[in-house]
Amino acid sequence: MSERCFSVLGLFDSAQALVAAIPIVRRGTGALLEAYTPYPVRGIEKALGRRKSPIAGMVMVTGILGALGGLGLELWTSAADYPLVTAGKPPGAWQAFVPIMFEVTVLFAAFTAGLGMLALLNRLPMFRHPMLRSQSMPLITRDRFALAVEAEGQPLDVEKTASLLRAAGASAVEVVGMPAPPGPVSPNAVLTAFAALAMSCAAAGYLTYWAVKLFPVFPPMVHMLDQPRLDPQRASAFFTDGFGMRLPVAGTVARGHLPSLIETPDEAAVLSSPLPRTAAVLQAGREGYRTYCAPCHGVLGDGKPTLTAAYGAKPANLTSQAIRDFPDGRIYHVIAAGRNAMPGYSWELNQDQRWAVVDYVRALQRSQSAMDSDVPEGVK
Amino acid sequence: MNGNRTSSVLAVGAFAGLLGMVASLFVFGRERFWINWILWFLFVLTTGLGCFFIVALEHLVGARWSVPLRRVPERLASLVLLMAPATLLALLSLPHLYSWTRPESLANPLIAGKAVWLNIPFFAVRAVICVALWLVAYRILVSGSFRQDLAKDPRFTVRARRFAPVFMVIFALTITVLAFDWISSLEPAWYSDIFGVYLFAGSFLAGLAATTLALLHMKSRGRLQQVGPDHLYNLGGFLFAFTVFWSYIAFAQYMLMWYANLPEEVVWYQERLQGMWGPLVLVLALFHFIVPFFILVPRNAKSDPNRLRVVSIVMLLSHWLDLYWMIFPALGVGPLLGWPELAFALAFGCAGLLWLRRAMTRGADMPVGDPFLQEGLAFRL
Repeated sequence: MSERCFSVLGLFDSAQALVAAIPIVRRGTGALLEAYTPYPVRGIEKALGRRKSPIAGMVMVTGILGALGGLGLELWTSAADYPLVTAGKPPGAWQAFVPIMFEVTVLFAAFTAGLGMLALLNRLPMFRHPMLRSQSMPLITRDRFALAVEAEGQPLDVEKTASLLRAAGASAVEVVGMPAPPGPVSPNAVLTAFAALAMSCAAAGYLTYWAVKLFPVFPPMVHMLDQPRLDPQRASAFFTDGFGMRLPVAGTVARGHLPSLIETPDEAAVLSSPLPRTAAVLQAGREGYRTYCAPCHGVLGDGKPTLTAAYGAKPANLTSQAIRDFPDGRIYHVIAAGRNAMPGYSWELNQDQRWAVVDYVRALQRSQSAMDSDVPEGVK
Repeated sequence: MNGNRTSSVLAVGAFAGLLGMVASLFVFGRERFWINWILWFLFVLTTGLGCFFIVALEHLVGARWSVPLRRVPERLASLVLLMAPATLLALLSLPHLYSWTRPESLANPLIAGKAVWLNIPFFAVRAVICVALWLVAYRILVSGSFRQDLAKDPRFTVRARRFAPVFMVIFALTITVLAFDWISSLEPAWYSDIFGVYLFAGSFLAGLAATTLALLHMKSRGRLQQVGPDHLYNLGGFLFAFTVFWSYIAFAQYMLMWYANLPEEVVWYQERLQGMWGPLVLVLALFHFIVPFFILVPRNAKSDPNRLRVVSIVMLLSHWLDLYWMIFPALGVGPLLGWPELAFALAFGCAGLLWLRRAMTRGADMPVGDPFLQEGLAFRL
C-alpha cells in the first residue's frame, strides 16, 4: 500500500541505537534518510552518508575576506585617500587596523554561519517544515532519537519502511503526513513585513541623524554638549583673567620643547643642524616627514598633496629652486613657526626631529634633481 | 627494565645539566646563571599552575565530562611542589638581576615611587606567601582527591567544590604577583596592569598542552582507554579558544602602549623589538597563535590525537619562547642561546620528567572515588 506522506519516522531510545540502526535501514531502502536528535550525536553525518556541510569552508573564506576587507578599508581611508595625522602615528600603521580587521572578520564569519545555516540547511524561505506537525516532535526534543525515511517526491511503501525501521530496533514508528496547505499568513506577507520594518528602522535613523544635526540646541541633543569640562579656546569664570586655556607656569618649559629665541626667518637663516648626517638621522627625518609633511607636500616633496581633498591653499613645492636655495636654518624655522597657510609644528616635532626633517628634505631635493654624473661609473 | 633505563638516562641527563649549570656560574657569572634559573623555574612552575587551574576549574563549574581525565592535571600539578624550593632559591637572584634592589636606582622617581612594593623584605614575604598558599591549596584540591580513591568519600567532592572559588581568588592574586614580581620588575620602571592576565593566558595554555600531551601518551600506552574522542574534543576546544585569548591579551597590551607612546610603557617593547628580538616576536606570533589556530580550526582536528599532539608540543615550546622573550632582554644584550642555556634545559627538563615519571603513577589513573566518574565516562558530545 502506498499513500502520500512526507516521511516514515522510527523512534529510538538512545543515540547508540540510532547510529547502529542507520546502516541497516540504508541497506534496506534507497530513500533519503534524515536523523532528528535532542543534541548533536558524534558520527551521525558519516553514518547517514552526508557530504560535509559546505558552511565551514564558507565561513573560512568569508572570514579571510573580512580580514582583507577590513585591512583594505583602513588602508584606503586612512593611508591612501585621506591620510590624516592621528596621534602622531605614520599613516598606514598596521597596529591601529588590527581591531577593525578582527571585528570585520568576526562579523563576516558570523553572518555567513548564521545566514548560511538558515538558507542552506533550514531551506529558508520554507517556513513550515512537515516535521513540525509530527506527534513525536516533543519527544525528540527531550530524550528520543528519530530516524526519518523521507519520500522525497516519490511515493513511499509505508508498511515495508515501517517494518524495516522496527527490524532495525525502532521502539515506535510514525507516519508524517504531507505539508499542510499554506495558512492564512503567506511567506510573502512575512517578507513584506520584514522589509517594512527594515525600511522604517532606516527612516528613523535618517530622521534622528538630521534632527541631531539641524537642532542641536534642543534637549535631549544638547545634553551631550553640556558637560562640566573646559573646552579649548573658551572662556572660564574660574580664573581671574577669564581665559580657559592656561599658559605654562612662568619660568618653566615642557620637556623636549626648549623655547626658540629666534623670531624672524632672517635670524634663523644662520642656524645649522647640530646632528650628524647619518642614516639613522635621515631615517628619523623620513618618519617625521611622512607623518606630518607628506599629507600636504607629497611623499616626494613636489607639492602634490597625498590628501585628495582640496582645501584652498596650494602647498609649496619643496623641490623647487626657491626652496632649494633656502638655507637649512630657514627650513627649520618654517617647520617650527609655519609660513603662509601652514601652521607651525613645534609641538609635534621637537628640535632634533625638526633638524632630521630638514636633512630629509635636502635628500628629497637632491633625489628629485639627480644628474647623470650621480650614477656610479660601474652601473651606467 | 626499559622503564629503569629511561629513568637512568634522565638522571644522568639531569646530573650533567646540573654540572653545566655550576660550570656556567663560574664561566659566565651570576647574571646569566640567575636569568636562566628565573626562566626555567617559571616555565615549569607556570605549566604546573596551569594544570592546577584546570583541576580547580572543574570543581568550580561542577564539570562532569572532565572527571575521568582529572587525574592527569592533578598529577601534573605536582610540578608546583617540585618548583616550590626553586622559587625560594630564586630569591638569591634579587641583588644580581633586579636593578631596583640597588640604592642608586631610587634616583629614578618612577622606581622610587614603587619602593613600597619593590623592596627585598616584602618581595620575599610575597614569594613565601604565594608558595605557602599553593601548598595549602594542593593539599585540599589534589591530595584530597588521591585520598578519595581509597576512602570513596563523597565529602571530598563537596569540599573541593566549596574551596574552588576561594582557590580562584588565590590563583588570580598569586599569578599576578608572580608576573609583576619575577618578570615585570626586571624592568622596574615599566607599567602594565594587564601583565598578570597575560601570564595567566600563557600558563593556562601550557597547562592544557601538558595535560593533552600526557593524556595522549597514557592512551598510547593502553591506559585511560575510556577517555574517548568526545573528551579529547573538549580539550582541543579549550586549546583552540585560549590560543585566541592569549593573542587577544598579548595584542591588547601591545596596541595600547603603542598608541599612548608613553616613555615608561614603550621602553619594554622597544627593548624587545630591536635587533634579533624583532624576528623572534614573529616566530612567537607564528607558533603561539597562527600555526595552532589554523591546525585546530577544522572540527575533526580537535579530537585527532596526532594533530593534538603536534599542537601541544608547539604550544609548550611557544610558552617557553614567550617567557624567554619576556625575561632575557633584561640583560640588555641580544638573544643568548649557548651551552649554559642548554645545560639548564637539560637539568630542568630531565629533573621535571624524572619527577613526572614518579608522579604519573601516583594513585589510580582515574579518580575512582569521585561520585561523578560514571557520568563523566558516559559523556558524549
